[in-house]
Amino acid sequence: MAEFEWPWQYNFPPFFTIQPNIDTRKKQLEAWCFLIHDYCKHHKLYSLDVTEIQSSDLFYNKKINRKLSSDSLLTVLDELKKKGHLEWADKSKRQFTIVWRTQEEWGKLIYKYVVYNGLTDTVCTLYELTEGEDTVDREFHGLERPLLVKALKTLENEGKAELINIDGNEGVKFF
Amino acid sequence: MGNLFGSKKKKETRITEQDRAVFQLKVQRDKSKQYAKKLDVALEKEKDMVRQLLRNGRKERAKLLLRKKKYQEGLIQKTENQLETIERMIHNIEFAQIEANVVQRLSEGNAALKKMHELLSIEDVERIMDDTAAGIEYQREIDELLSGGLTEENEEDVVAELEQLLQESEEQKEVEPKKEPEPPKVEEEEEEEEIKLPDVPTGELEEKQREKKKREAAPAMLAS
Repeated sequence: MAEFEWPWQYNFPPFFTIQPNIDTRKKQLEAWCFLIHDYCKHHKLYSLDVTEIQSSDLFYNKKINRKLSSDSLLTVLDELKKKGHLEWADKSKRQFTIVWRTQEEWGKLIYKYVVYNGLTDTVCTLYELTEGEDTVDREFHGLERPLLVKALKTLENEGKAELINIDGNEGVKFF
Repeated sequence: MGNLFGSKKKKETRITEQDRAVFQLKVQRDKSKQYAKKLDVALEKEKDMVRQLLRNGRKERAKLLLRKKKYQEGLIQKTENQLETIERMIHNIEFAQIEANVVQRLSEGNAALKKMHELLSIEDVERIMDDTAAGIEYQREIDELLSGGLTEENEEDVVAELEQLLQESEEQKEVEPKKEPEPPKVEEEEEEEEIKLPDVPTGELEEKQREKKKREAAPAMLAS
């Protein structure tokens, strides 16, 4: 995988402190949202833990020794939530899911792959879709199960797929 | 809405018996693959351990581990074979499904074709062809009646006029090529035209040319 390209702000120490000036803060939060979005997309991250991500290099630039504080991090994450790119997994705001592609977009992406590979009218296991050898170079490879199911449900609503669950084994038939 | 959707889903599930069979096979395939992966990882670990043991001089223990490794390698091989069988089974079912569909469509096509044939019986065709022939005959009779309306004299006039017109057009053809200026042609054709040029008789010009030649020749003779 190519190296993640950090934006210039990442090496700008004030970036790690929430700015008091409203205009500046607005720009700053926006930049943070972009950064988190791109970072998670680049590393294919979906579900994250607040404590864990806080000490990752996304929020901790060891080179300039700057770290986003817990409060600031929550401010940034709430901003992401407002933009619809984040969903809290629990009420205590410890776990969250980054939405860098909507369920519908994932669904479309998967369906495109299905059509391209002539998999319509075929049953597939969810395992082979996200973990199988055939999808290694696909963007949805390694997609988390709940997200995958949501994406497939959007296809089901369009009549392009039907989910199967036999004895807890999940699968899908594409049409 | 969920309830509505749920009831709708139950009513018209598009998952057939075969789909379920294929799905179960695919689930088993995934599980076998995962099992093989697990064995692979364990094998790698044991290889490292054997090396470590040999380095420490624990030959007996290494041998034991190698035996275990051998056994696991056999298991991997067996799993791979099973996977192949499963894959083949999946393909067989899927192909049989396609085949069944093809036969189904073919029989549908056959039925449609039969229906079309029923629509067009041989007798119908014969009757239509007879009708057509009668129609043609009728038309011919009408033509005869209409052309028969002209007297023989008129007919002769018509023929004479036609011949006259033909002759006129032929005469014009003979005259035309002389009158027509040389049409602009491609270079190659132009060369051919130039070769033909002397054939065109233009008395006056020839005389002038002769005179010209004489005039040209005279100074030459004078010079020599």
